[in-house]
Amino acid sequence: MEALAISLVNAVPLLAGVPLWAVTLLLMVVVAAVILVFALTFEGVGSLVLRKVAGDIQARIGPNRVGPNGMLQFLADGVKLVLKEDLIPANADRLLFKLAPYFAFVGSFAAFVVVPFGVGLIAADLNIGIYYVMAVTSLVVIGVLLAGWSSNNKWALLGGMRAAAQIVSYEIPVGMALIPAVLIAGSLSLQDIVRSQSGLLGIFGWNLFHNPFTFFSFFLYFTAAQAETNQTPFDLPEAESELVSGYNVEYSGIRFGLFFLSEFGDMFIVATLSTACFLGGWNVPFFNAGTLPWIWGNLFSLGVFLAKAFTMVLIMMWVRWTLPRLRVDQLMRMAWKYLVPLTFVNLLGVSLWLLVFKGKGIPAMIASLFG
Amino acid sequence: MGLKAYMNDIVEAVVTTAKGMRITARYGVDPREEVTLQYPEERWEIPEGYRGFLHNDIKTCTACTMCVKTCPVDCISLESVRGADKRMVLASYDINIGRCMYCGLCVEVCPPKSLKHTSGYEMASVTRGELILHFIAEDAAEIKARVARQVAEAAAKAEAQAAAKAAEVPSSGTAEVAKAAEAAKAGAQAGPKAAEVPPSGTAEAAGAQASAKTAEVPLSGTKAPDVSSESAKAPVVEPKAAKEGENKE
Repeated sequence: MEALAISLVNAVPLLAGVPLWAVTLLLMVVVAAVILVFALTFEGVGSLVLRKVAGDIQARIGPNRVGPNGMLQFLADGVKLVLKEDLIPANADRLLFKLAPYFAFVGSFAAFVVVPFGVGLIAADLNIGIYYVMAVTSLVVIGVLLAGWSSNNKWALLGGMRAAAQIVSYEIPVGMALIPAVLIAGSLSLQDIVRSQSGLLGIFGWNLFHNPFTFFSFFLYFTAAQAETNQTPFDLPEAESELVSGYNVEYSGIRFGLFFLSEFGDMFIVATLSTACFLGGWNVPFFNAGTLPWIWGNLFSLGVFLAKAFTMVLIMMWVRWTLPRLRVDQLMRMAWKYLVPLTFVNLLGVSLWLLVFKGKGIPAMIASLFG
Repeated sequence: MGLKAYMNDIVEAVVTTAKGMRITARYGVDPREEVTLQYPEERWEIPEGYRGFLHNDIKTCTACTMCVKTCPVDCISLESVRGADKRMVLASYDINIGRCMYCGLCVEVCPPKSLKHTSGYEMASVTRGELILHFIAEDAAEIKARVARQVAEAAAKAEAQAAAKAAEVPSSGTAEVAKAAEAAKAGAQAGPKAAEVPPSGTAEAAGAQASAKTAEVPLSGTKAPDVSSESAKAPVVEPKAAKEGENKE
């Protein structure tokens, strides 16, 4: 960000008198605002698409009243959420009750910082990218747990407890399933991981096809991440049929809206990570966006990245409207008896592969056969 | 749990998920699968013999009370008086459509086939009284009074004629018969007039009300196609009568 500020100061002579830290701060705020706008737009449109997909899959039509074909439904929903009364239950722990939605939203929004949108489009290319995402999205569980506890409502508390147990359990397979990508790239930075999948191998340069273990790793990650973000086959924290609405049952108005937004934000983060770590990020076959002029390269890679990420989001919605909800014990069994051992075996497999074949994937080896 | 069962579990999970996703994808992609009927804009085609709201064509109704007697839920009530021509004149004909169970017995027994099921099924009201359909807009007491007056007039006329005849010398029986027929004709003319009823002012008001209602909700189904405009106006509820109905309930 500071480099960008220096180049900006160099480019615009008017800014020469302004201290560098001020320009940097201003740039940070602008970038944060842009990402926030993107996140909110995605979350709004995502909710509409989710409902439309649900309608299609369930042989219904879905929202079609607000705007042409129901396209403005999310604006109406947003306005409704903002205007609704913000109720706080009489016996709630007021401070924690008010604090909880912010934890949840910040937890999911902060992860947007390291999303590699394009060749140079990343808010902050942290060298601990994946680790940062894993750490900061764990804030969501604190928010959910706080919401469940402070509501002073048994359904909310049960939902919060379930969410805590679930997210903590699935954090392990998620991390373990992402490590193969880190091992191959030799870096935790998401940009480095994406760059490691470029090259002239095209689609076969992607980590997904690097070796059999990474192929499984992708599906393991996707499954575990669905659980970690409370997507439907694993949406026990807000199981409507048993817990009314789970941890957010006492929330209304914009506070409920924040939980809602954080849920969609998590969805995008999962799609982002699977795209960046396994599907080649902004790379497309046989074409290097980095060679284009700065603006076009970035726009092109942004489009590619978003297309991949949104496809993943669509697949998540598809899964969401296909599978019925698991039982609590099934959920825990799946985490500890299936996903955790499998991801460990997988990690071991990838490590051995990289050790034995000197970091080369199957496509690279085949390519080297033909010179 | 052995390793084989363990692997089987995993395979089964993957296979069933794939199966389910294939099914949902098929439904998601195929636009013909949408079964939602966009109700106010689209409607079902009403089947033949559909038993919707009842409608009585009071012009042909003979006030025989068969419908009242046969109704299992007592939703039809009518008042009638004997007119000058010895025919029954309807003073009021009400159907409590909120109580009707659409069994169709009244339609079956109706001798002049004046009572019919229409294809209407949409009616919303704030009070239960509004659910009572009044097929005669005019007040029952007024009709009764008028018919009584007509009967009295006819009787007086007949008496006068009889007296005149008596004075005229007892002539042949044929003349007397002709006179009686004349009197009957007069009475018959009075009869339909009473049935037609509403004084022009109220009729217009009722018409306006009816048209306003039809404009508000496209109730095209509630009217039978062959119903004349007058009888269409008839079921319009007058506020006073509605209130009475509510009190009755």
